[in-house]
Amino acid sequence: MLGNLKGLMVTFATFFRKPVTYKYPQEHKPIEDRYMGFPVLMWDEKVEEPYCTGCMVCVRYCPTQCMSAVMKDNPLHAEGKSTRRKIVDSFEINLGRCILCGICVDVCNFDAIEMSHEHELSKYARNDNRTNLPRLLEMGRSYQKESGWKPKPVKETKPEPETKTEEAVEAEN
Amino acid sequence: MSALETLLLVLAIFGVLTGLSVIVLSLIWLERKFLGRMQMRMGPMHVGPFGLLQPVADAVKLMAKEDLLSSLVDRVVYWVAPLAVFVPTFMIWVTIPVARDLVIRNLDMGLFYIIAFSVLSIVGLVTAGWASSNKYAVLGGFRAAAQLVSYEIPLILAVLGVAMLAQSMNLEEVVNSQSTVVYALVQPLGLVIFFIAGLAELGRTPFDIHPAESEVVGGPFVEYSGAHWAVFFLAEYINTFAIAALTVLLFLGGWLFPGISGDVSALGVLVFLVKTYLVILVVFWIRGTYPRLRIDQLMSLGWKVLVPLALVNVVITASYMFYGWSAWSLSLMSLAILGAAIWGLSKRMRTAPTPEYTVKLYVPAPEASNAG
Amino acid sequence: MVDLSTEGQLDTVQMMVNMGPQHPSTHGVFRMVLWVDGERIVDLEPHIGYLHRGSEKLCEGELYVQIVTLFDRMDYISNLNNEMIFCRAVERLMGLAVPERAEYIRVILCELNRVASHLLFCGTFGIDAGAMTPIMYAFRDREKIQSMFEAVTGARMMHNYIRIGGVKGDVPDDFSQRMGALLKVLRQGINETDKLLSFSEIFLARTKGIGVIDAETAIAYGMSGPSLRACGVPMDVRKDEPYSVYDRFDFGIPIGEKGDSWDRYYVRVEEMRQSMRIIEQALEQMPDGPTITPSRLVLRPPQGEVYVRGENPRGEIGVYLVSNGADKPYRVKVRPPSFCNLMAIKELLKDTYIADAVVILGSLDIVLGEVDR
Repeated sequence: MLGNLKGLMVTFATFFRKPVTYKYPQEHKPIEDRYMGFPVLMWDEKVEEPYCTGCMVCVRYCPTQCMSAVMKDNPLHAEGKSTRRKIVDSFEINLGRCILCGICVDVCNFDAIEMSHEHELSKYARNDNRTNLPRLLEMGRSYQKESGWKPKPVKETKPEPETKTEEAVEAEN
Repeated sequence: MSALETLLLVLAIFGVLTGLSVIVLSLIWLERKFLGRMQMRMGPMHVGPFGLLQPVADAVKLMAKEDLLSSLVDRVVYWVAPLAVFVPTFMIWVTIPVARDLVIRNLDMGLFYIIAFSVLSIVGLVTAGWASSNKYAVLGGFRAAAQLVSYEIPLILAVLGVAMLAQSMNLEEVVNSQSTVVYALVQPLGLVIFFIAGLAELGRTPFDIHPAESEVVGGPFVEYSGAHWAVFFLAEYINTFAIAALTVLLFLGGWLFPGISGDVSALGVLVFLVKTYLVILVVFWIRGTYPRLRIDQLMSLGWKVLVPLALVNVVITASYMFYGWSAWSLSLMSLAILGAAIWGLSKRMRTAPTPEYTVKLYVPAPEASNAG
Repeated sequence: MVDLSTEGQLDTVQMMVNMGPQHPSTHGVFRMVLWVDGERIVDLEPHIGYLHRGSEKLCEGELYVQIVTLFDRMDYISNLNNEMIFCRAVERLMGLAVPERAEYIRVILCELNRVASHLLFCGTFGIDAGAMTPIMYAFRDREKIQSMFEAVTGARMMHNYIRIGGVKGDVPDDFSQRMGALLKVLRQGINETDKLLSFSEIFLARTKGIGVIDAETAIAYGMSGPSLRACGVPMDVRKDEPYSVYDRFDFGIPIGEKGDSWDRYYVRVEEMRQSMRIIEQALEQMPDGPTITPSRLVLRPPQGEVYVRGENPRGEIGVYLVSNGADKPYRVKVRPPSFCNLMAIKELLKDTYIADAVVILGSLDIVLGEVDR
């Protein structure tokens, strides 16, 4: 019976300890810095345009094909304000399909997409999770503000194979 | 019976019903909160201060819920079953006194009446299981029948010991006869038997065999929803309260407390309620700690341990009464037998050949690791 | 003498009970068709496949970097172990060296994942046996591990952190301090769960001598991991065929004696303690350096095939990878430990009670995501 009594003592002692849970909808568990929430598009505040050029690398590497992007000529480039010749025209992520793997962030050459801390996205309809460009940029800006995100310093020597492989994939397709 | 008396009786019954409902709501809140704290959770927090209104919200939700009905159920039996469970649990409160003279009808055969009525609720559980036309419900119903019938016997025998000591089956007199020393001290064995058998009667952990969620998914109640399920739930909690109240009345001195005059009704009720809630907290505490027994283990515990012990309890009480031994001799005998039973049981339950309950640590020799 | 036996006089019939896939204690969507005689199980027929997502076939259509995410979702309780086995397969095929520091990070996280997985097991096993508190304690501690994962990998469950050639990024700066604090809390928590559940007489009565399987039968069924070690077979891939840097640590293999449910339970409890020993040693020995060997994004391993095995919390996991030189594998076959452990279910459940069925199934610690893949 000793084991049973020990068990009773454990629950009795625990009774006086502080609960470890959070009152969820009011209180949230703090999020770690590296937390990978939904992918969002970043906003270049210097030029006032998205970083994204619509190159579709992320679209190709997405394991669940949850993204789509369309590229256009950058009007700001024509005006000479921006160094980006092409800019994203439309971008859509189906956040209901996204598995938060972070591959899109790894493959992006322009620091245009980041995993935000946004993770609660209840919607009323199934298609409401299809997030378009303005919404993604808005989420990106709030993430930028919240986390003090800065673009990575200019990458030294772009790894050669990457561009090659992209072409290879394209060639295959 | 005059019209006024009848009116008073009806009012009293309504009073008891209301009081019991309030108590059930408080018990639900208490159980959730208590278990929550034991599990390092907060329990209900959102509805009302400290979640106090949570049981009310639950009750409203259950009442408003659609009553789902499988097409194969035996309708009449299916609807009658909750009542068959609820009515006996309510009926026993007719004779349970909460303070001196505070009782609907103080029957001379009160204990007999309570036992006779509490057995009836088994019928409800079995019929609920049968009528649901669900295999889990059938299994649960049969489990309930086996469990509750077998545990009636030690329960009755334990009550018998008290009735012998008090020379009465009238609950008020049972309590009054404990004015010098409570029966828990005179008959610790009887208290333990009564409490364990009571837990089994309630179907509470570790004896929650018939509603066992991980095995038969709620047992007899699996097909019930909405208000009908709520009636079962209500009955279960009233039963919990009743068993705790009986424990208090039979063994812990009811509304008597040293230094508090039992003549004042309000104080008596307070003492009674405090004691009862403490017993209920023990029930919840046990629920938060133990796993569940298996049905065959439960039956062997009932028939091979509790029934013989209860018989021994009756025998020693009888000899004590017959030979007029001194008061402490019964306590000593009772304690000795209880100790022996616990010792024997813990020996018996550790069935492994090795006393050492651990796993070995295999560390392969560095030169030759011939594992596999 | 009155003949009290009802043999042949009462018309009894066996009842078929469908246990699962919606039964609360079949650990996911496993279905057992039980033929019961009263409470006793006469025969049973396990059905799997309710969670079949075709992961192996999906692997053939994905790039190597993407397959890691699929492996995350196979055994969703021990994701990092699964990621590691696939990455090791690809690395072996390509002859890719992994930096030392990355190996240590992998080992630490995998062992932490093992602790998390076993904690979950202890809790759910308590639920199966009817105790509702152990799972709360287990989750309380597991939650801290998940937060640790979140701090390191950025995700609580589907990490995609272990990459081909190393790990995604270095650990945060305060990693060792946090791990030290975490291990202390975990030790305490495991001791608490242990005290609450392991030696409770009721729990012993429910699990001791229930679902006994002897070593030969277990091996014949292909059981592995804690379920096999409970039978007294000290088989552990980390010791038998040390991979990664496991040969540098000093740890024991807990083995049981009888091969019953309690042994399977307690071997896991003890394994958590051993895992924590490994983590402590790894934290001490962890060298500095790079955490990933840079490689192309689109990998094209040379033509060939490879089979690697590793020790998952549930047993031996194997990945058989065939490459035809393209950027996608030709074939990926996983040897899932819990599927092989589940094979013995018929042997284990014969002639037991329904209540035992739940306990035995729980003691095998299956994850349906891996069984069905």
